[in-house]
Amino acid sequence: MERVLQAFDDLLERFSRLSLISCLYLILGLAVLSIFLRWCGISPNWLEPLIRHLVFLSAFLGGSLATSKGAHIKIDLITHLVENAKSRFFYWLHRNMITLFCLITTLVLTKSSYDFFSVEREFGGEAFLGLHSSVLVAIIPFGMSLISLRFFNRLLLSLIQGDVRGSHNL
Amino acid sequence: MSVAAITYSTIFLLALLGAPIFAVMAALALTSFHFSGIELSAVAVEIYRLASAPTILTIPLFTFAGYVLAESKAPVRLLRLSQALLGWMPGGVAIVCLFICAFFTAFTGASGVTIIALGGLLYPILIQEGYSEKFSLGLITTCGSLGLLFPPSLPIILYGIIAKVDIDKLFLAGLVPGFVLIAVLGGYALFNARKIKRPSTGFSLRELHEAILIARYEIPLPIMVLGGIYGGFITATEAAALSAFYVLVVNSFLTKDLSFKRDLPKVITESLTLVGAILLILCCALGLTNYLVDEEIPMKILEAMRSFITNKYLFLFVLNIFLLIVGCLMDIFSAIIVVVPLILPIAEQFGVNPLHLAVVFLTNLEIGYITPPVGINLFISSYRFNRSVIELYKLSIPYLILMILALILITYIPWLSLIWF
Repeated sequence: MERVLQAFDDLLERFSRLSLISCLYLILGLAVLSIFLRWCGISPNWLEPLIRHLVFLSAFLGGSLATSKGAHIKIDLITHLVENAKSRFFYWLHRNMITLFCLITTLVLTKSSYDFFSVEREFGGEAFLGLHSSVLVAIIPFGMSLISLRFFNRLLLSLIQGDVRGSHNL
Repeated sequence: MSVAAITYSTIFLLALLGAPIFAVMAALALTSFHFSGIELSAVAVEIYRLASAPTILTIPLFTFAGYVLAESKAPVRLLRLSQALLGWMPGGVAIVCLFICAFFTAFTGASGVTIIALGGLLYPILIQEGYSEKFSLGLITTCGSLGLLFPPSLPIILYGIIAKVDIDKLFLAGLVPGFVLIAVLGGYALFNARKIKRPSTGFSLRELHEAILIARYEIPLPIMVLGGIYGGFITATEAAALSAFYVLVVNSFLTKDLSFKRDLPKVITESLTLVGAILLILCCALGLTNYLVDEEIPMKILEAMRSFITNKYLFLFVLNIFLLIVGCLMDIFSAIIVVVPLILPIAEQFGVNPLHLAVVFLTNLEIGYITPPVGINLFISSYRFNRSVIELYKLSIPYLILMILALILITYIPWLSLIWF
């Protein structure tokens, strides 16, 4: 079970990393292209929104990596004290409680963004390059579900592995 | 106690216990919308607003450019150039440290990269010049956030997006106050240099020439960003794209400091993980701040404040105290996203210019980086130089006092921020 979960988490990590790298190269290439085209007096109206949506997508992919690395920004007032606490149980409880909170929050956000996507699919229209606006809105439920999965995996792995210090940052 | 009160208290408690800020923001927004009887999908609608922010592109590209610079040998080349330019002066090496850190922080967005990338280079040079360990460690720790007011710093861009203030104007507004901070710390460096008996190295035109040749690819970068934006040739977004493209080409193909296949994927992953963490907070905070503004929370705070704050100067004094506390407790990105929408309408009522407010705000948070107990630079330096955090708390005190003195100047002389307008 643990190995399956770890393998699935590694797969998500690789997917997030490769997608993020591709996104950055695409953003950079398109941004430079837009400057070049502007100097040539050409301004395609699809270019800028496409770049902005790629940045929007990269926010969630980066968020997925931040989840696995424990690199989310947080208030570090008590975390240092807890990490140095002698009670291993307290450390375990603290870590899992926060992961559970993040999991619940991201799951609710996934549901709420899916509702938004459903409304957009019904009432939205073409955005640019023939793309329906709901496809663009789908970035949010996709991104949030990816982050939820990362939290879910981390919670399960943490529960299976017990209180191995430092194995999972918050 | 109502269900709402229990839910809010639990979320605040979890925030204090170290829950990621993005989850806290999202939970607060979802709870607020739920208890107001608004569909939760409205939070997602607010999140989607980020995709229409015109300057959003500057965040990943400038951060990427900064990380590429930090990972390459650019710090070594720039250090040599700065030493050739300023190293001959009394206190020159410390002043070099101030300028080079300011340059790097401006590009890396004060994310701790400056101390990690430059600390190991600058510390032995300062010690070799005869500066005390105490002075050197304190200086590097403080310098880790020094260029925050200079373009194209990420906190300035984020502030501009949140406050809807022109980023080009914000870049200009931060210039003089940024130099005031350097001047104050430079003065302290000169004061400390008096005790040093070592003869300083003389000025060498040949060395300067060689240093310029070595750093020839880095020299055009600030010129391209500042000259491009203020010459009206490019926008801030285009400057971000050109900077990122330029450092990528230079460091991968010309200087070959970074391998395109081996090093760049790592740099991209690291820089965009930070960007992802920031943008996620920004996404989730959009829902919450919109709710707060709809409920007229800033106006209610203003009404409450009016009874004891009667003028602009008293307001700025209270604001400084408040922001110094915020800077001690929160990181700069969360603080900008959470606090700016609340204080902006209040400051406007007291007649504070939005550009001046931005500079005061960012200076306070810059000080927050070295303010005990949770100033992030203190922890990064503690990790980088293998010293106890308590030791760094003590070392930071003189610098903290100097930075607060500079803050007083920046707060009560608005002209420093508004000289260009």
